[in-house]
Amino acid sequence: MPKVKMPRSTPSLDMTPMVDLAFLLVTFFMLTSSFRSPEPVFVDPPASTTEKEIPKQVFLVTIDETGRVFIDITNAAVKEKVLRDLMVDYKVGLSEEEIKKFIGSGPLGMRLAELPSFLAQEAEKRAKIAEAAAGVPYDTANKIRTCELYNWVLKSRVVADNDFKMREAAAQEKNQGFDKDNYMQFVVKAAKDTRYETVKNVIDVLREARVSKFQMITGLEAKPE
Amino acid sequence: MAEIQGGGDSQGKGGKKRAKKQSTRVDMTPLVDLAFLLLTFFVLTSTFSKPKVLRMIFPEKIEDNTNIKKPEVRDAVTILVSGDDRIFYYTGQISNATVITEIDYTKEGLRKLLKEKNFQLLTELKKLQVKLNETDEKDTAAVNKIDREVKKLQKESKLVVLVKNDDKATYKNIIDVMDEFMITQVAKYFVTDDGFNAIEKKLVAQIPPKK
Repeated sequence: MPKVKMPRSTPSLDMTPMVDLAFLLVTFFMLTSSFRSPEPVFVDPPASTTEKEIPKQVFLVTIDETGRVFIDITNAAVKEKVLRDLMVDYKVGLSEEEIKKFIGSGPLGMRLAELPSFLAQEAEKRAKIAEAAAGVPYDTANKIRTCELYNWVLKSRVVADNDFKMREAAAQEKNQGFDKDNYMQFVVKAAKDTRYETVKNVIDVLREARVSKFQMITGLEAKPE
Repeated sequence: MAEIQGGGDSQGKGGKKRAKKQSTRVDMTPLVDLAFLLLTFFVLTSTFSKPKVLRMIFPEKIEDNTNIKKPEVRDAVTILVSGDDRIFYYTGQISNATVITEIDYTKEGLRKLLKEKNFQLLTELKKLQVKLNETDEKDTAAVNKIDREVKKLQKESKLVVLVKNDDKATYKNIIDVMDEFMITQVAKYFVTDDGFNAIEKKLVAQIPPKK
């Protein structure tokens, strides 16, 4: 009996739909994903049921479990102006290049005086130093107005206010629409296990600088019926 | 996989020269590999749950606070937030005879208490919500009217809740309490600065921790 010969066919299949799908998904994820900004400390905030989204422009105050404070300003122009102002106040000398480095370096968690030596380091070393930093100093005793956190907040508030007015005026001149909600807001992100007293002390410093509205960052929790 | 046929010249002389027929298939395997690699990367790195924010407004600092009226606490509910996720409450003013009850952060604890205390406002607000759902969204006058009624109800709300914390309370505890206020729509609540007073400390210390 002769062997039954199976017809030989090439084992290729049409992959076009699969590629289509794969690229569709790639595009979707590329467009929707936003990358997490570099953080020197990982902070796990508590959850709440609010559905309000985080504002576009923020002054972020991060408080970790041990009470270290890190600050960041999302608006690069404001961040630069504030730094320049504070450099004069605290007599810290930084080169133009170092200022640029600072703006791109994410949250700050150290004294201003430590900045020059910090920025002179290489990028990898900087990340490590930032992790081990002692935080921006804040003092809630009687000398509240001399602490660095207070000055950062106060300067930022003033600079952001001016920035907002300038943008508004520019938009009016060109008869363009202006997003009134796009102003810098103060956002506090604290870890679950931070003692409330610590958070309150930090908030007290901000209140001293006449900031009274805060957005507390929380994770999302399902809303009850 | 692209097949190449050799010896296309079999037609002999005089025949028309035909263009070689070549398969138009392209090997797509590397493309698929790349696409899936990128896909995996973006799936793994994307953060879906954007953080949400809870709005908190603190009063501005006032140097001289002797003239500030402390909130009336006659019928107030005072919530005492302590360490180890313990939470207590009592109603009215504190005295040695006050009964302080321990509750918890669950649905059956704090939320049930607040819902009961805030029952009147909650039912009124629910009625208005139903009314709001029935009215046409474009009818701004009607919507504004309901909005005003809601604000009025909140202003007239009789329930006042005070929150006090001791130095062991965590940030999570306070946010949880705030969140419960939002869920149960408590209109008037205050977080005080001074911490527990002596009587509260004493009474709380007498309550044995739950197992």
